[in-house]
Amino acid sequence: MAQKAIDPAVRILVCCGTGCIANGGLEVLAALRSGLAHRNDMEVESSDSALVTGCHGLCAQGPFVRILPQDITYCRVQAKDVEEIIAKTLEGGTLIKRLLFRDSQRKEFISCRQDIDFYRHQHKIALRNVGEINPDSLDEYMERGGYQALRKALEDMSPDQVIAEVTRSGLRGRGGGGFPTGRKWLSCAATADSPRYIVCNGDEGDPGAFMDESMMEGDPHSILEGMIICAYAIGASRGFIYVRDEYENSVRRLEKAIKDARARGFLGTDILGRSLDFDIEIVRGGGAFVCGEETALLRSIEGEAGEPRDKYIFPSEKGLWGQPTVINNVETWVNIPVIIVHGADSFASVGTESSKGTKVFSVVGKVLHTGLVEVPMGTTLRRIIFDIGGGVPRRRKFKAVQTGGPSGGCIPESGLDMPVDFDSLRQAGSMMGSGGMIVMDDRTCMVEIARYYTNFLAGESCGKCTPCREGLRSLLEVLTRICHGQGNPGDLDRLEEIGETMRLASLCGLGRTAANPVLSTLRYFRDEYRAHISQKRCPAGVCPELTELYIDAVLCNGCTLCVKYCPTRAISGQVRQVHVIDREKCIRCGECVSRCNQDAVLVR
Amino acid sequence: MRVKINGQEIEAAAGETILEAARRHDIPIPTLCYHAAFGGQGHCRLCLVEVAAQGDKRLVASCTYPITAEIEVSTSTPLIERLRGDIIRLLYRQAPGSELMQDLAREYGCLDEFITEDNREQERCILCRLCVNACTALGASAISAVLRGVDKKIATPYDEASEACLGCGACAHICPTGAIPLQDEGGNRTIWKRDFELLPCEVCGRPFITPEQRDYLIARQDDLDTGLLCDDCRRTRVARQMEPFR
Amino acid sequence: MTAELRKEETAEEFHKLIQGYPPEKRYIIPIMHELRRCYQYLPRPALEMLADHMQVPFSQVYGVATFYKAFSLVPKGRVNLKLCDGTTCHIKGSQGLIDEIYRTLGIRPGETTGDRQFSLETVNCIGACALAPALIVDEKVYAQVSNARLQEIIEQNRRGEDGTESN
Repeated sequence: MAQKAIDPAVRILVCCGTGCIANGGLEVLAALRSGLAHRNDMEVESSDSALVTGCHGLCAQGPFVRILPQDITYCRVQAKDVEEIIAKTLEGGTLIKRLLFRDSQRKEFISCRQDIDFYRHQHKIALRNVGEINPDSLDEYMERGGYQALRKALEDMSPDQVIAEVTRSGLRGRGGGGFPTGRKWLSCAATADSPRYIVCNGDEGDPGAFMDESMMEGDPHSILEGMIICAYAIGASRGFIYVRDEYENSVRRLEKAIKDARARGFLGTDILGRSLDFDIEIVRGGGAFVCGEETALLRSIEGEAGEPRDKYIFPSEKGLWGQPTVINNVETWVNIPVIIVHGADSFASVGTESSKGTKVFSVVGKVLHTGLVEVPMGTTLRRIIFDIGGGVPRRRKFKAVQTGGPSGGCIPESGLDMPVDFDSLRQAGSMMGSGGMIVMDDRTCMVEIARYYTNFLAGESCGKCTPCREGLRSLLEVLTRICHGQGNPGDLDRLEEIGETMRLASLCGLGRTAANPVLSTLRYFRDEYRAHISQKRCPAGVCPELTELYIDAVLCNGCTLCVKYCPTRAISGQVRQVHVIDREKCIRCGECVSRCNQDAVLVR
Repeated sequence: MRVKINGQEIEAAAGETILEAARRHDIPIPTLCYHAAFGGQGHCRLCLVEVAAQGDKRLVASCTYPITAEIEVSTSTPLIERLRGDIIRLLYRQAPGSELMQDLAREYGCLDEFITEDNREQERCILCRLCVNACTALGASAISAVLRGVDKKIATPYDEASEACLGCGACAHICPTGAIPLQDEGGNRTIWKRDFELLPCEVCGRPFITPEQRDYLIARQDDLDTGLLCDDCRRTRVARQMEPFR
Repeated sequence: MTAELRKEETAEEFHKLIQGYPPEKRYIIPIMHELRRCYQYLPRPALEMLADHMQVPFSQVYGVATFYKAFSLVPKGRVNLKLCDGTTCHIKGSQGLIDEIYRTLGIRPGETTGDRQFSLETVNCIGACALAPALIVDEKVYAQVSNARLQEIIEQNRRGEDGTESN
């Protein structure tokens, strides 16, 4: 192969989001750097061309290596592939087919990212820099227009104008409640009290959600910039970023970003030569889901157990240490610089009547392309799950999607064409939450899923008020009985009754929504509950006591695949002969069901 | 500030809670975690009332909702009664061993519900935390709410006898459900797994106070120069001192 | 970032650590985090010292420590297996791994083996749902862990870094 010198303009972006790191992203980066350093003809510093970036979104296919300016994206790259990438692609200018993204529907290999359906249908505002820049580099952030919004706000706008612009944009809190951001700021600015505080809620506690993480570790300066602009607008002097305990990478990159921003005069005293003093510190969460609730989070910053309080007076009037406090979630902050630079009208041109802009979802579970997806508000669930997410893998059938985290609800197939925004989801018995979307296939038992979430919430509730604590205890008791085949006909009404009490009487948002998983599955999958109770049968074949798996003698082609994967060796059968499941040994894990190419393993 | 509670116009101070305003005017609202000495906590949610303001109706906890506008309040609607009944039912399931909860469950017609969870029959605590408030107000702070979610409970650190405990028994006295065992026997007191000696009353000789509490009161310079008197004897003495003024 | 070397559990070490923070209530949780980093759990004498330093009742410090899931009041094993039991990991079989760990090491979530070599805890979601089920051992994330892979991971960690038995 004719070897050419490596183009000095080449930039190699290596995804070092949490997902890719787990799959060996750091090793790929190290191999690239050392591989490039060994090329004597390299005219540029090797470390300048192999760059760390935040999450590329399509996490299941990681680690990603994206080569610019050619715009070639390689997936599932391992350190051992690096030598070949350097030799064939960087020096030889040819593609390595096996590392390209394969579109299984179109049955073709794709090299350019924008041609992949997963990316093609997205609209990136909040994630504009994530995966594009080195999150540790303030210069790269500024090259992409970073801190221009701050300059514009400070130099050309009054604090009132900033608030008015945010209000006019129609931005609503991305953390769950959907409260209008501008109104929050206005109410804080209108108080007579000071000092005032600003808090970024990065306590992303929903299982199955990692969009805030991707922004904190992929584009930390956007968060800082949003907060500094708010500090100017409402007259705050101190800010706190409350980061979920588990997010090591986020903490590290935010720390670096704060340090760099201070050094450049974006934080500290006399910011940009104006009389604005503002600084930010990081507070690490203690591992409590309830701290996503803003009054609980504030208690946690104060050094107390994170128990919420009644919000008859909002934190914008009495928040941290009793002072006026604006608290917004990570994604909300990231949208602020865009609104200031491009204007409220431009922001509001995307989205629906009541929900403006875009929303980032983490689409996970039984979906082909798990990852982060940013789409305009009002995009249908079908587009997100099927066109972007690639649909349900392994030829299984879509059953439901859980939105809004543990206290969200499950939406069935009939709801797939619903445009997603704050209000439509609430009407469907679920909620936006912070944007988790967990796709479930027909091998998911909705009663068991409701039990799982209720169990999660029973441990995560703060335990302060009766309806939430005792309601969850009772729900869990009843659901567990149903899953074990000991349900009574009256149980379903009782579940609804308790759920209603929790919704109306609980102290905080967590308690008021904690029955959603039960109520929404009861609403859409009542027959499945009934089958558990009256026929003592789990139609999805999940609840062990109510499930029997068997192999259909006609469908089975004797391929032995199920025999190989059965963890308890409960399946016997020779090649090309019908296999049989030993009922005694079978633990109903369902591995055979998902492995069988003939769909011959059935649930009785 | 004029507010209407159940159609009755009353005067309330700005910032006062609905519950406090209602109580001052003898309008009853049921509660389990409220005590005038500590104010509203918003824990039990039994005091839910409906507030109508600016054409909007919503349910709020009357013990924490501050009156800041001229509102209309209903302390009882069919929905509120249903919710209260359900809260009682939930609390009764949590603390079936408590006589108070048994009585309330009977009153609200939910006594018949069978208890499925074993070993809960003896449970009496409804987590109102009045005990924690009392202990904190007295200055000992020996107990606190620990853990979270359905595991939440009131305990001393590590569930061990606490050095901070004065053995005053205020927690047991304030507990509405009799959930804190306090044993006085032969001049000794056992509470929160700790044994205390009890000192006798100088007048009647009945053992009534722990040395720890006595020392604490002296340190706080409470009026002890009248001697170590039990409540009964102190009352008698005060009454006698008051006689000339009658 | 791997856990800092475990320091000795002495009063001087606790004192040094705690005195590094101003006596303001809001540093209670940061101090607990640092204690956890150094000792992997919150030693009782350190918590008592912390309460003294902050001038808050010990019962309150205990209440905070037991409220947050990040903190353990009992010592952890040399190797801490952190298994993700978030929704995605749950539907992709984390319960099977919990059972397999119990079969292999005899510990359930929250427990430590008798020889203090291994402990197991479950976490709600580590934000790596595309890799479910995920297991974290000393900050290293293992993706799509099967029972067989789990056995390998346990075996690897039984030995010290230099490959020798570390019992």
